[in-house]
Formats: sequence, structure tokens, C-alpha cells
Amino acid sequence: MRLFAVGLSHRTAPVELRESVDFARGGLEAALAALAGRAAATEFVVLSTCNRAEIYAAGDSDAMADALGRFFSDYHRVDPDRVTPHLFVCRGVETARHLFRVAAGLDSLVVGEPQILGQVKAAYSAASDLRYTGALTNRLFHSAFSVGKRVRTETGLGEGAVSVSYAAIALARKIFGELKGLRVLILGAGEMAKLTGVHLKAQQVAQVTIASRTLATAERLAGELGGRAVDWAELDHALGAADIVITATGAAEPVLTRAQVERVMRSRRSRPLFVIDIAVPRDVEAAVADLDQVFLYNIDDLQAIVQDNLARRAAELARADAIVEDEVTRFAAWMQSREIIPTVVALRQRFEAIRQAELSRLEPKLSDLPPEARARLDEITHLIVEKLLLTPTEQLKAVSDAAMVMAYSDALNRLFRLAGEDARERQADRAASEVRSR
Amino acid sequence: MHLVPLVFYAAAAAGYAAHFAWRDPRTGRLATSLLGGAILAHTLLIGMQTMQAGHAPLVGTTAAISAFVWLLGLAYLYVELTTEEQAMGVFVACLLVGLYIIPALDPTVSPRPPVLQSPLFTVHVASMLFAYASFALAFVLGVTYVLLFNEIKAKHLGFFYARLPSLQVLDAMNGRVVSIGWALLTIGIAVGGVWATQVQGSPDPRAQAMSVLDPKILVALLCWGVYSFALVARRAIGWSGRRAAWLSAIAFVIVLLNFVPVGYFLTKSHNF
Repeated sequence: MRLFAVGLSHRTAPVELRESVDFARGGLEAALAALAGRAAATEFVVLSTCNRAEIYAAGDSDAMADALGRFFSDYHRVDPDRVTPHLFVCRGVETARHLFRVAAGLDSLVVGEPQILGQVKAAYSAASDLRYTGALTNRLFHSAFSVGKRVRTETGLGEGAVSVSYAAIALARKIFGELKGLRVLILGAGEMAKLTGVHLKAQQVAQVTIASRTLATAERLAGELGGRAVDWAELDHALGAADIVITATGAAEPVLTRAQVERVMRSRRSRPLFVIDIAVPRDVEAAVADLDQVFLYNIDDLQAIVQDNLARRAAELARADAIVEDEVTRFAAWMQSREIIPTVVALRQRFEAIRQAELSRLEPKLSDLPPEARARLDEITHLIVEKLLLTPTEQLKAVSDAAMVMAYSDALNRLFRLAGEDARERQADRAASEVRSR
Repeated sequence: MHLVPLVFYAAAAAGYAAHFAWRDPRTGRLATSLLGGAILAHTLLIGMQTMQAGHAPLVGTTAAISAFVWLLGLAYLYVELTTEEQAMGVFVACLLVGLYIIPALDPTVSPRPPVLQSPLFTVHVASMLFAYASFALAFVLGVTYVLLFNEIKAKHLGFFYARLPSLQVLDAMNGRVVSIGWALLTIGIAVGGVWATQVQGSPDPRAQAMSVLDPKILVALLCWGVYSFALVARRAIGWSGRRAAWLSAIAFVIVLLNFVPVGYFLTKSHNF
């Protein structure tokens, strides 16, 4: 059994092509069922996100990679010439390395983004619920989950917001704890104000209030966002009630002055006020930042945070790579140790066959024995065979070095004449392909 | 034997510092286990001293500091295990090590003079020490609040920003532990007052010196005043956040002053 991964991602294919081979659109179950109907694979998982469409599979045939590649164009009824040049193929340990990097967020568009691990988990459970996974893919994906978890807990790869809006939300969380129950005031009713409002609504804040110079535009935006509009004249009152203020007006002069905010702060007791100025030119006087319990961030400050975080993530890449390699080595060792399993099984079958053969050969002499004595004899011979095989089985299962696996298999095959001619040929093929893949 | 807890406390402090710096979850668990080990060793030590002396080792400032360290460790461990918040560990553990050096240097258990043989004495000492342990936690919460506040205010998001819980959580926890501490302090002072009037007739010179003007008692009353103000100010005039944080930090400095210099050198009533 060998592992394969065939697919395309934002690294190899443009967005139009990724959209046209999206497996999630028609339902993963349908794609898995179609795959089960035709590909030579015995285990498979389909991972489909907006940035990638990948099939992980295990099977015996080396031609499987091509079959999986064709599946992309056949299933989605896309011209194969359009898809094939963008497909990547991983074989054996490379498959593990690829999936581990994906699960760790190293292959993502925004390196370190955390959603991908959940998507990998969902892809795996969709396949395993329908029993399309097996020993190899189970181990592969569980290792990938632990890589994802290790990278998240042991490195700073996923830390720090890497977009301005997430930086603002992370800051708000550091100040207020939870965003639920907070009141947000947006000054301005333009496109930026609207975008911010939509974003904050998604964070389930308690209330969004919009204030604009013209009440009508404020009311229009409030209607779209499900918020409430206030008259500009009531700004002081609205400021007093707000926890977060976002300013995005097109005004040339500051609309929030220090004197005004200071006046408002007096009525707030020490309740913190987080002011985010995303307008250019500035909407808020810089001196507002000097007031106690007021946190003022403008668009440049947020951008600087994002730059810092991106730089920090880049610095963590090496550590994440080391974790991936560590787990790849471990997985490769496990795969190697599995290579010996057919030999172990054959060896045990051989011994059992000899035992059965001897028992039936002695059948005429044993026929006078009472049934209990026959059962006892059967048990004793079985125990002897088990005892003889115990240590060799343990020793063989502990072998993880490729060359040693080959040497042991070969020696056992010869010594006990385990494999038939065809099996021996297959083994030779495999050895040759191992050499080729290196 | 009395050095074993010190070694454990110091190891826990190192573990918490390492966890704070590198945020490796295994180091964090190790630090928690080390602190647990320190408290266990300390419990055994206190138990042994109790059996040897025939009374709980609460007589004298050194013994009180030892009991205080034990209580603070226990209280912190409880908070950590219930909130799963480990960032305070390094601050608390450093405080534990610093204070435990004193009883580690002088492990002798003072005999209990007859004047202290009252259940009121035990209640008084226990509630005072619990109050101080709460104030110590409030101090750590206050200091970390100010550190985080300054980072966010200065738009320099770095070390503490990545490690501490939100300002809101720090402030709310601060308010809670100050309330608990204040209640215990009130009980401790009240019981101490009742007990002091009971032993007024005792020939012991220390019982004679029990007066509001004795430095130890005076500073304890000052602490009560400061923490009462902190409570009232939070509710009535909205002194939460940075002001409350500073207040709980400064107030605990007064508690510490009362504990060590006043307790050892200035008081005439509490020098057992």
C-alpha cells in the first residue's frame, strides 16, 4: 500500500480553476462516493477549501496518481488539458510532508491561519464516517492533527492579527475581554464605515450606533446594518454610552477634539473608551490619546501592528518547519515498520500451515485419543508455535530502517520460502520504484 | 527540612518565568506541579512543627510570614486551577520566594506564651493572613494591569500584550479579591480588638501595649482605611481600571511594610 496526494492549491492554480473543481460545492459525500466507484484506491479523503482541492489516497497501484488526476476533470466535467498542468502529485512520505504542512497552516495563503486545521479535520471525519479511510490514512491524518496542534502551541506562527480589522478586534478583546455586550459608535456613513459595521456585527456586539452629519445617510446605513442612527447634535450622549468608537468620515478637520472627549469621559467613570480612527485625513485629534482610559489607534498604528505580526510569523517559520520534519520522520518510520507486516503475516501463516499439516499427517495415530486429549494436543502445539514466533514477531515489528526491512524480508522469504513467485516479483518492483523515487 | 519548600518555591518561580517567556505548555504544567510540590512540602513542615510544638506555628512574625506564604500559594493555586490563567504565576511565585527566605533562615518555632492561648488569637491571625494573601493577589493583578495598560496606551504591543488576559478581566478579578480581602481584614481586626480587651489584665507587657497607637495596629487600621476607600471609590466614584490597579499595588506595599519592618522592629504589642 502506498500513499498519494493529488490536487491543486492557490500555489499551483488560478482562482477560476480552483472554483471549477470545488468538491465541497456538490457535497463531499457525493465526491467520495464517486471516487469509491472508480479509482483503484482503497482509502481516500477529499480536502476542499476555497484555496485548495486535494485527494489523499492509499492503494496498491502505482497508476493511481493518474487515475486520481483524471478524476478531477471527469467529476467536474472540465477539460483535462485545463486541469492537468496545474495538478501536483505527492507519493509516499511526500504525501505526509504535504499534508502536515497544510494542517500546520504553512501552505496557506496567509501563513499560520488557524481555520485550515479545522477544515482538514472536517475532511477527514467526512471520509471516515463513511468508512473510506483505513489504517494508513487514519494514521496519516491523526499525525497531521498533532502537527497542527504542536505548531499552534509550540510556535508563534498563528499569533497576532494579520489584517487591520482583526488587529482592531484583537485589541478590543485585550481591553474589554469579550466583545459581546459592547456598544459601538460609528462616525460617518461611507463605504469604510459600512465595512467596519458589517465586521463588528459579525462579532455579535450588543449595539451599533451610526452618527453622520446628515441624519438621512446615517439612517440609511443603520437600516442596512440593523443598527440605530443618531443626530450629530447628540454626539456627546452617544459617545458617553459607547465602548468602541470608529471614525470614518470624509471630514478635512478632526471631528473629535480632546476637549469634547474629555468632557464625555467625566461622565463615564473609569470605563475605557477605544477609539479607532480609520479616516484619512484623521478624524480624531492626536491629543485625545493623552486622556486617561482612552485608547486611540489610527489606521497607521493598526497597519504597523499587522506588519509586526507578519514579521514575527516569518521568524517562527523555521520552528514550524522543524516540527513538520520531526513528525514526517516519525511517520516515515511507522510506514517502514508497516512494510514488514506482510512478511510477518506470511511467516505466521507458514508456521500455522506446518502445524496443521503435521496434525493431519498424524491423524490416523491420534484417532484413538479421547476428545479432551485431542483438544489438549491442539492447544499445546499452538502454544509452541506462538512461543517460537513471539520474539521474531516483536523484533520484526521494531524494524524501521528501509534497508533493514528489505534485508529481513528477503532473508525470511528465502529461509522459509514464504512468498510465491508473483509476490517476489512485486517486491522487486517495489524496491526498484523506491530507488527511482529517491 | 525547612529549606525544601524554599527550593521548590524557587524552582516553581523559575518554571513560571520560563513559561511566561516561552509559553511552552509543558513548562507551564511543570511550574504548576512544582508549586504544588512546594505547598505540599510546606504543609508537611507546618504539620511537623505543629506536632513538635503542640500548637500551630503562628506565634511571631517569622511564623506568620511562613503561614502567609503557604496561604498565598494555596490561594493562587486555586485561582490558577479554576481560571486556567497562568500568567500571574511568575509574579506570585517571586513574591513567595522573596518572603519565604525569612522563615527559611530562622526555622525555630517560638513557644506560645499563655496570653495567646485563646481561640480568638487563631481566628485573628488566620483571617489577617488570608486578607493579606488576597491583597497580594490584588497587588499582582494591579501591577499586571498597569503593565498591560501602558503597552496598549503606548501602541507598543509586545511582551505583556501577548501573555496577559484582558484589562477587563484583570480589573474585575482585582475588584473581587479586594472585596474578599477587605471582609477578612475587617473580621481579623474586629476579633483582634475583642481579644485585646480580654487580655487587658494580663501581666504580659505586650498585652499592655495593645493600643491603637502601636505602630503595627495603627498601620493595620491604615490598611483597612485604604482598602475601604478602594472599595467605596470603585462603587461610588468609578475608580476602576488604572486607578484601582495603582491603589491595590500601593496598598499592598503598606501591608508588606507592616509585615516586615514594623513587625520586626517597631511594634511593642505584636513582637511574639
